[in-house]
Amino acid sequence: MSNNTVGTVYEHIINEVINAVRVDFEENGVDDSVLEELKKGWQHKLSQLNVAQFPWDPKPEAPPPAQAQQNTSAAANAQAAAAQQQQTANYTQSTLSPQTAARPLSMPGGQPNGNGVAIKNEPGLVNEPAIKQEPGTMQPMMHPAYPGNNAARGGMAAQRAAQAIASRYGSQAQASINAIHQQTQQPQNPGQAPQQQQQLTPQQQYQQNVAAQMQQQRMAQQPGQQQQPSNQQNGLGGAQVDGPSDGFDGVLMRRDADGNPVEMGRVEIDNLLHAKLLERAKEREGGGLMLPLKEATKSRGIASNKRSRAAARGAGANQLDGNDEDDDEFDEDAINSDLDDPEDERDDDDEEDEASGWIMLCLYDKVQRVKNKWKCTLKDGVLTVNGKEYVFHKANGEYEW
Amino acid sequence: MAANGNANYYDLYRHGSLGSTLTDALDDLIGAERMDPQLAMKVLMQFDRVITEALNEKVKARLTFKGSLDTYRFCDEVWTFLIKNVTFKMDGGQSVVTADKVKIVSCSAKRSDEK
Repeated sequence: MSNNTVGTVYEHIINEVINAVRVDFEENGVDDSVLEELKKGWQHKLSQLNVAQFPWDPKPEAPPPAQAQQNTSAAANAQAAAAQQQQTANYTQSTLSPQTAARPLSMPGGQPNGNGVAIKNEPGLVNEPAIKQEPGTMQPMMHPAYPGNNAARGGMAAQRAAQAIASRYGSQAQASINAIHQQTQQPQNPGQAPQQQQQLTPQQQYQQNVAAQMQQQRMAQQPGQQQQPSNQQNGLGGAQVDGPSDGFDGVLMRRDADGNPVEMGRVEIDNLLHAKLLERAKEREGGGLMLPLKEATKSRGIASNKRSRAAARGAGANQLDGNDEDDDEFDEDAINSDLDDPEDERDDDDEEDEASGWIMLCLYDKVQRVKNKWKCTLKDGVLTVNGKEYVFHKANGEYEW
Repeated sequence: MAANGNANYYDLYRHGSLGSTLTDALDDLIGAERMDPQLAMKVLMQFDRVITEALNEKVKARLTFKGSLDTYRFCDEVWTFLIKNVTFKMDGGQSVVTADKVKIVSCSAKRSDEK
């Protein structure tokens, strides 16, 4: 056991941690460069503590305990090489896939992208299903799963042509539009209509669907058109795909100031959810790890309240209340955080002890006492003493009270 | 000082220099809005695991120490000792380090072995 091994052990730990969380970073859409930065920042801060000789420290800076120098210089070289490799890999990744690089940028502002990520992490969050059930956004997403066929592309082109004609010449061109439709739609079964959009991105599909449906309606309004029934039939599949341009029914009720139930439209609900998500995202930014316990518990309390309220909103939508309740809950939080205060003080004391730098963190196998004599067997510990760190596998202590 | 919910690793080592510097570094990134706190929690959980395993597997050093016990506390399976005038002997007595006082925070080794 000596101070010399600490550097290599710590380096091993750092590398292990960084490698272990790489997957998590990718899953969260956080760029590799952030991970690199984390590693650099970690090592830098550790070096500043000057508790041991670390392999990644630049040589000249190191106060030369010659033995340690020799031990670590080889490791330092390896480390530098590894870092270089890391950077190369990083570079290729970010150039080849700009999307990954762009993602973290959109996160901090609580943009939809960031929210999406955050939602996935919270299984209990009720907002997620609510969003997913939005017919307008969900339905088109399903199309890419359909098997493609060539006729579909022809149909799509025809629809575009028909659309263009319709927009330019309006109802005068009905005949030719219908002709196009007949041409393309006859070989297909009504049920296959959605396949027409299979080559498109969801947004395009959505637009396409809306356009198609509007067109159908326009045609339907023309009395005496022979193709009308067949058009409607053919268009049935397509018309079912898109909900949005239908007159929507409210799915949520809420009470206004007078207590009268008011039906909420989809747009309103969307706005409401969006506002809530933004709010939560902001909370989370502040509700981080290293806040004082008081603040952390406060924001957590609010968050959990929000969650339960959101749950109530999802389940029993009719029972939504106004703002008064919110205020009450906030007050409760304030009381809670006051209760937490004594704990804070105790924690502060602990931290002071740690700050003084004499601490041993370890596991115990056995602690025995005979009268005032104590014996203990400790293992897997980190000892910080006199500004230096030591690690040990096993330690025996004897002391008198 | 409890073990994590889903894994049997203590977050005790977060209070050491390695853990505190990691949390500092994570905090900087969160403050700069480069990552979100949940991801940082995952990093810390990984850290709990890795440091426990590394200390168990990579470290062979032994240590003995003597001193006078000032305070002791056993709460929630955690021993806390404050020892004064401590002498640490390492490398089989070759190097000796003394300190006025040292605080020992120690979790049960058994619980962390139940994997």
